[in-house]
Amino acid sequence: MNQAKKIKLLYIDDEVNNLNSFKASFRFDYNVLLAASPAEAMQILAQHDDISVILSDQRMPDQTGVEFFEEVRQIYPNPVRILITGFTDIESVISAVNRGHIFRYLKKPWSDVDLQSAIEEANKFYVTSAMLHQKNEELQKAYTELDKFAYSATHDMRGPIMSVLGIISIAKDTKDKAEVDEMLDMMEKAMMKLDNYIQSLHDYYNIRRGGMQLTNIDLNGIVKDLHDIFDVTSRVDNVKFNAVVVQNERFRSDETSIKIILNNLLSNAFKYQRKDIDNKEVNLHLEIKQDNLEIVVSDNGIGIPNDSLGHIFNMFYRAASHEFGSGFGLYNVKDALGKINGKIEVVESKVNEGTVFKVIIPRK
Amino acid sequence: MNDEKLHFIVIDDSKLDCFIADKIIQNTGRSASIHTFQQPADALLHIKNNAAISTTIVFVDIQMPVMNGFEFVEAFETLPEDIRKPYIIYMLSSSINENDITRVRRYPSVKQFLNKPLSGKTMTMVLEDYNASSAS
Repeated sequence: MNQAKKIKLLYIDDEVNNLNSFKASFRFDYNVLLAASPAEAMQILAQHDDISVILSDQRMPDQTGVEFFEEVRQIYPNPVRILITGFTDIESVISAVNRGHIFRYLKKPWSDVDLQSAIEEANKFYVTSAMLHQKNEELQKAYTELDKFAYSATHDMRGPIMSVLGIISIAKDTKDKAEVDEMLDMMEKAMMKLDNYIQSLHDYYNIRRGGMQLTNIDLNGIVKDLHDIFDVTSRVDNVKFNAVVVQNERFRSDETSIKIILNNLLSNAFKYQRKDIDNKEVNLHLEIKQDNLEIVVSDNGIGIPNDSLGHIFNMFYRAASHEFGSGFGLYNVKDALGKINGKIEVVESKVNEGTVFKVIIPRK
Repeated sequence: MNDEKLHFIVIDDSKLDCFIADKIIQNTGRSASIHTFQQPADALLHIKNNAAISTTIVFVDIQMPVMNGFEFVEAFETLPEDIRKPYIIYMLSSSINENDITRVRRYPSVKQFLNKPLSGKTMTMVLEDYNASSAS
């Protein structure tokens, strides 16, 4: 086992002999830190945030072990505390154990076997609590998202349905065929928006719950698919789509995640165009550079206001009052990047000049 | 029967919902004018620059990007009283969210919360409420 993975212990005792014999017994199995006083121990704790077990002598001149642990617990709640003591202090020890300050106590002089087993148990407890803490944080995040989701889902899914129902009731009383046709177009758009939203939801689910499937990524193949997807938009809205691929080596990664990232970045680039210019364009550059896939998507569209840039990756955030935004796209990009260890390297944008996204994805 | 003509403003980021509101209002036969805005900021500008002389009923959607319905109302409430006076504001949403409904009550300038989409029935109710309050 290498040094970095050893369990890190801190032992506090005012008797130097004890410190030395402790270190002699355990330095091979553990990463042992020693302190001759509670004050010194506090300094060590401040420098090492990965100590998993603290062992302390009970009888020390400045402070008893129990008092020291009460203090430590306030500041560093995570390390598991073991008290080492003679029989005489038993009353204070029992009360300390009962108040939850101490995981185990051991008699002095200790047997190495007992001490080692206590340390192992304590470490297990430490690891479990740390995991529990992490799971709790994840859960908290999931709850917050669920709240946001429930709120948005009612709006974004029910909204188009309600609108179409509204239109239907108006259309029923409309005699003019041309007017009814206009309403049909509107209904179509509303349904497409809803479908779009559900598609994003599906992506969201894929990123979250779908496993990773590592394959050799064929960038040219992906670009061909992208041309198929965006061809209609490109022609209807008169936006030039330029794609460049530089792939001289193999690249392994999760294709679904990469597609979600590209789809969302490109669909934003196509969506947020300036209506009044003739040379509308979206550029895609894909290149494998030193084991990394570099994706650059740029456009000369409406751009993102400076004060919105910090929020664009948040769920349901929409920077533009554009009708088709779901507030899901870039959130999914961020999520998918997290899954394959990629990162957003650059987001540059100027209002009415355009936006550049640069994304780096490492090889798996 | 009261057939006093009223002015209407509709603020909704969805073009479709603006269209629906516009039709429904037209069908009442009570509109002197109907202005629809997809961006609340534009509606605010309109309100600031065109002093309303007679009653204007405003329908504003709650969930909109950039500036939402609540932010619109907050901005509206900072305007001078003589500008605000002719306006009656209704807030609309398609999601039935208790927090939103209670929040709507906190704004003195908002008359009521309505469910989307605006229907002929809701319009009739809105107009009856106005008739009742202007008669008394």
